[in-house]
Amino acid sequence: MQKYLCFLSCYLLPAMCAFADLHWDKPLQEFNKTPDDRKVEAHFTFKNTGATTVVVKSVKTSCGCTTARLDKKVYLPGDQGDIVATYSYWGITGSLRKLITVVSDDRPDQPVILDLRVFVHEPFEVKPGLVYWRTGDPAEAKVVRLTADGYPVKIKSVTSSNSRLSVSLETIKSGEEYAVAIKPTDTSQKESAEIAVQTDFPADAPRVYTIHARIK
Amino acid sequence: MPGSSRAKCVRLVIRQACAILAIALVPAAVSGGVQLKWRHEEPLAADEIRPAVARALGAEALFVDARTGQRYAQGHIAGALLLNNESWDDLVPKFLDAWDPDKKVVVYCDGGGCDAAEEIAGRMRRELQLHDVYVLKGGWPAWQSR
Repeated sequence: MQKYLCFLSCYLLPAMCAFADLHWDKPLQEFNKTPDDRKVEAHFTFKNTGATTVVVKSVKTSCGCTTARLDKKVYLPGDQGDIVATYSYWGITGSLRKLITVVSDDRPDQPVILDLRVFVHEPFEVKPGLVYWRTGDPAEAKVVRLTADGYPVKIKSVTSSNSRLSVSLETIKSGEEYAVAIKPTDTSQKESAEIAVQTDFPADAPRVYTIHARIK
Repeated sequence: MPGSSRAKCVRLVIRQACAILAIALVPAAVSGGVQLKWRHEEPLAADEIRPAVARALGAEALFVDARTGQRYAQGHIAGALLLNNESWDDLVPKFLDAWDPDKKVVVYCDGGGCDAAEEIAGRMRRELQLHDVYVLKGGWPAWQSR
């Protein structure tokens, strides 16, 4: 037993301590964004705190919407590095998450997972984004609610691409809450319409929201 | 060693070898069986569908390819529509024209670590309030391998 402990303390422990090691400052990063930002950039910085050189073998992202850039692959003891991850979320809203997998030669079987989380706040919610009728259904109006959250949003116009699916706008509370009623002339045949809701938000590039209407 | 003793010895060795093999086969068979079972019953999330099940749906499913236009052009499930985040606004009308409230929507991407299918399926549920939406387990590679 003593021999075993001696072997462990004399050989294995120093060997384990001499392993190269990448120390990551913030492997999990969180951001708050708006849909108009469209992308987020995160810097995952690290340092080789071990005693030997580390080679970063691969940096992989979980989708084509995320890129990860690393300037060099070989890191001497004490060297610092920076993986720049850019996630283009294309106007998606809500809680989003992307993972970046880093494999280095010191621990090829234990990749480091970098975690990029984004909360994209939608200032104007359109619910539901789709209304539909089946052919033969009663030609009753369906209502879509539009609600501003955090910023006052005014609706400048609402237009339908199909005259057989007419629209009317009701202001429930100016700047905060609206209702768009969509009514088919009849439901005897299949129809489709895209309803454009023109807003005044944001002031520099006002957005148009789309409601989809279908008779199936 | 006389001939009869040698033959007896050989028989004994063969018998013992057979016994050892038989004993070893039991755990090997159990282990192999368990591994095969695991491989076939890889955990399935509530919104996922296996390729074999999706294939069996036939015309009862509308397939949606959530990859890039370039990847779609290189090959896709027959009849699948392209719908990705990059061109969501432009592609949604065409998808909704093809969509049928009585059909299941099956979304796929490149499988493995790809999460475009999850995102598109999530947008369909959240923004369009579609309910019968599934993600193809293993994505396009799994579909091709069967």
